Amino acid sequence: MTDQASQFVSATIHGQMGQERVLFWRHIVSWGGWTQIAKWAGLIVILLTYIPLVWLAVMSFSERPLSGMPYPITIEHYAALMADKAWREPLLESVIMGLIVGAVCMVVATAVGRAIPRMIRPGGVLLLALSPLFVPALTMGAALFIFLREYLDLRLGLWSIFIAHIVWALPFSLLLVLVIATRFDLRLLEAASDLGASTWRRFWDIEFPILRPGIIGAGLFGFLLSFNELLRSIFLRGSETTMPLYNWTMAASHQSQVPIIFALATVILAITLPLMAVFFWLLFARLDRST
Amino acid sequence: MNNIQEIEGPRGLKGWYTNMMSAGWVVPTFVATWICIVVIPLVIMVYFSFLDVRYYEVYYDEPSFKIWWSIIESGRWMAVTRTLRITATLTIIQLLIAFPFALWLAKGCQSKGVKASIITLLTIPFFLDASSRIIVWRPILGTNGVINTVLMDLGIINQPMEWMLFSEFAVHFGMLAPYFPTMVFPIFLVLTLIDDEYIQASRDLGASPGQTLFHVILPLSLPGIVAGVVFTMVPLMAAFVEPGMLGGGFVNVLGDSIEAALRNLKYPTAAAMSTLVMILLALLLVVLVVISRRRGALGNIFQTMKR
Repeated sequence: MTDQASQFVSATIHGQMGQERVLFWRHIVSWGGWTQIAKWAGLIVILLTYIPLVWLAVMSFSERPLSGMPYPITIEHYAALMADKAWREPLLESVIMGLIVGAVCMVVATAVGRAIPRMIRPGGVLLLALSPLFVPALTMGAALFIFLREYLDLRLGLWSIFIAHIVWALPFSLLLVLVIATRFDLRLLEAASDLGASTWRRFWDIEFPILRPGIIGAGLFGFLLSFNELLRSIFLRGSETTMPLYNWTMAASHQSQVPIIFALATVILAITLPLMAVFFWLLFARLDRST
Repeated sequence: MNNIQEIEGPRGLKGWYTNMMSAGWVVPTFVATWICIVVIPLVIMVYFSFLDVRYYEVYYDEPSFKIWWSIIESGRWMAVTRTLRITATLTIIQLLIAFPFALWLAKGCQSKGVKASIITLLTIPFFLDASSRIIVWRPILGTNGVINTVLMDLGIINQPMEWMLFSEFAVHFGMLAPYFPTMVFPIFLVLTLIDDEYIQASRDLGASPGQTLFHVILPLSLPGIVAGVVFTMVPLMAAFVEPGMLGGGFVNVLGDSIEAALRNLKYPTAAAMSTLVMILLALLLVVLVVISRRRGALGNIFQTMKR
């Protein structure tokens, strides 16, 4: 189609709009620079996530991490970190909590995720299961605190942190399993049962291999979301301290302890960041290739 | 999923029961647990907002609107409007940056490696510890922070710019990056589901890029935009770690008030304000659903999900 014809079409579509105005807007919209602006604006915001992480690592070697320039350079905060024992228990607590939440998420998300698509009307249950995603962390934390501590008069501790973490992480894990489970062809199971496979064999030999990426993702999301959960833990901690709680208390308190959490956060990031980067990159690259 | 879904079961209480049990005992057990740890706590919280507290004891007799009135009368109303303003500003900024970026990522970015890398970079922030990455903005933005030090050494400014930290600017700035992925992802997912042939057809019929954008791409991506706005606004409405650390006590938001009320054992006040957050979010959700239904976009959600 010639340029003139397309101008005619757009002018007729816009009826009352004068042709010059149409031309003007077409000129603005079809300017090639918008793509570059769109791309770089987004990339700059992404950079704003990672610059603080780099700066965190740089400042952990500075004598005064809360002042401007990373000078003079020192490793004394790392030495202090090694000598200090206060952070070890929170770290251990968070790792164990993350592993338990991850395992529970993996099992529950698999069981529920493969059951929901088989329901006659799954909508209501699905909405209920995903409802915590629409409740702000603070509200959920406050609600659970009021219910467990004040209404039921229970002693809060690791178990209440665990409940809060499950409420937070399970919807994500469930979504991951559901994405794959909804595509799963139930006729495969019928075929297997016709061929004489037991219930367990049908699950283990046919369903599990197909659902595996979702199940592994569910466990990983459970661990990571629990390991970094702060907002709900603040209310449900009782007298316990997890790693994010420890960091939060130290960061919020304007104490001399702040340099230590710079070093500690750097160490944790140095371990987790490359692992996450490799894992997610492999996951997304593979997903992209399979579609 | 589809062929089973099409068989409609009986309605009513019996239908509900049949539906619940249609996939074994797993779903009923899960629903019961979820009601106990999600629904009941939220209901109890709403109930608490009508109770009264005297001498640090919650009184269960004579529920009233007393706490609700006290929120309106005391200065806490200011925190509510401030929270709404910050949330609205940030959501609009996020949307304006995220939509074009998602469009570029879904349709413009040709290299699969670049795409996978960017998605990875957008995923990782979900799993980063909040406080350590926020506290580091202090030595960057502060009066003797790196930006002020460099600018003063270069002679561009004579006095440190004090507005950069412990201000509303710092709160907005600090919350820009953490809540960006929640806006990009839903829009990106919906955009990837738009068939390239629609865009090609629109072009073949003589539509300008602008017309294709406003009459084809935008209506089709409305479900993703609604989801992005909701998932960004939900955490923003209740954020208090960022405003606390970067606002330095000058930016008092709803989240601070709730946290402080709980710490001071004023449970009904905290409950009322948390309920308020829920009400505001529910109103927003209703408005968004009405808007998108008017544009026929809600049907698109199910269309895209079926594929």
